[in-house]
Amino acid sequence: MTTSKKIVLLGHFGVGKTSIIRKFVTNEFSSDYKVTIGVHILKKEMPVTNGEDVSLIIWDLEGTDNIDLINKAYLLGTHCFIYVYDISRPLTFSNLEENVLKLKEKFPKTLLKTVANKIDLIDDVNDEKYKDTLQKTDYTSSAKTGENIADLFDSITKALVI
Amino acid sequence: MPESNKLRQLKELLLHEDRDEIALLQAKIKTLESILEKQEQLASRIDPIIDKKLAQYTKDIPEKLGPTITESLKNEIANSKDAVVDALFPIIGKMIKKYIQQEFKILSDKINAQLQKSFSLKNWTRKFKSKVSGIDEENLIIQELAKTEIHEIFIIEKNSGILIANFSKAKTIDKDVISAMLTAIKSFVEDAFKTGNDSLELIEYGLYNIHIQNFNSYYFAVVAHGVFDSAYKGKLEYELLNFAEKHLAKGPKKNISIKLAEFFNNDDL
Repeated sequence: MTTSKKIVLLGHFGVGKTSIIRKFVTNEFSSDYKVTIGVHILKKEMPVTNGEDVSLIIWDLEGTDNIDLINKAYLLGTHCFIYVYDISRPLTFSNLEENVLKLKEKFPKTLLKTVANKIDLIDDVNDEKYKDTLQKTDYTSSAKTGENIADLFDSITKALVI
Repeated sequence: MPESNKLRQLKELLLHEDRDEIALLQAKIKTLESILEKQEQLASRIDPIIDKKLAQYTKDIPEKLGPTITESLKNEIANSKDAVVDALFPIIGKMIKKYIQQEFKILSDKINAQLQKSFSLKNWTRKFKSKVSGIDEENLIIQELAKTEIHEIFIIEKNSGILIANFSKAKTIDKDVISAMLTAIKSFVEDAFKTGNDSLELIEYGLYNIHIQNFNSYYFAVVAHGVFDSAYKGKLEYELLNFAEKHLAKGPKKNISIKLAEFFNNDDL
């Protein structure tokens, strides 16, 4: 028996949402940037310990700095939001708190994870300039090296089936 | 020994090697002369070289001349569109005419084949139906041949796009992704035109139609092939309503896909 869960990735342009999904679903990474138009959907079957499989239907939304501009219907019925930003570009997390708050207000029952991607691009994670933002972030990741990508989706799957 | 003999001997000793080389050269010149004089012999030696060069040249044409030729053709076509249209129009017209003739021939053969089966029960039923309804028997056959066929049915959760149940006559690439993508397309269209409560009801591609029928928390997407007229649409809507009332009124059950297959695996919708 397989159950399906809808996962939606959102965040600014070029933060690596598509790269995270590609790394997770097909274990591929490309440094060529191709902008996502509208929405792209992929699927990954995740085995769960009780013998049931979970199909993660992953919606990769086009980047936007204002989540109010996203087509509402794309967000409805979501089981987990993954809000991604690029740790090497402060502009992409300048309104992190504001966007997270909006999502929590509109979808109070939906799981939400924040991800600081492109962690491979910074020299020192413990640098003071990242401290505040990273404290408010659930995961650091690198789609390029694969760091924490599998862990992120594993933890989401577990949280959704329990 | 006389002086003259001595001199000759000395010459022979000194010029012996040079004479041999001259003789060798003369022989080579004679051979070359004979090759040059005989065309066949010359051709047998030169042809392989020319062939090799030609083969290499042919191989290099797309790379070396391709872009230039393409650019020239583009310019030519852009500068003389009317001439190109005039030149292509008769060819395309003939192709279309030939295709339509071929399709009519196939249709005609099928109608003849149906009529020849004059003793079949189906044929007698059709004859009876023709007399009762007043519709020509040939028209009834055409209606039978152009019959609409359901290929797939999806029941999809409206908000999430998650597949609730599916019935398919063929293997599809990924039912879950299709369901999500259909939902995204539907949402996009409904949001883009902001026409209030209107919703996307039909997607057409080639001879296929995707009929979308909305319910409160889910919707049906039916992929049908063939003539999708209002009569068929009405009938399909009625059947979907029936199915929803029977099997989805109290929420989808676990065996809903089996029920869906039982309900719709019937060509006489």
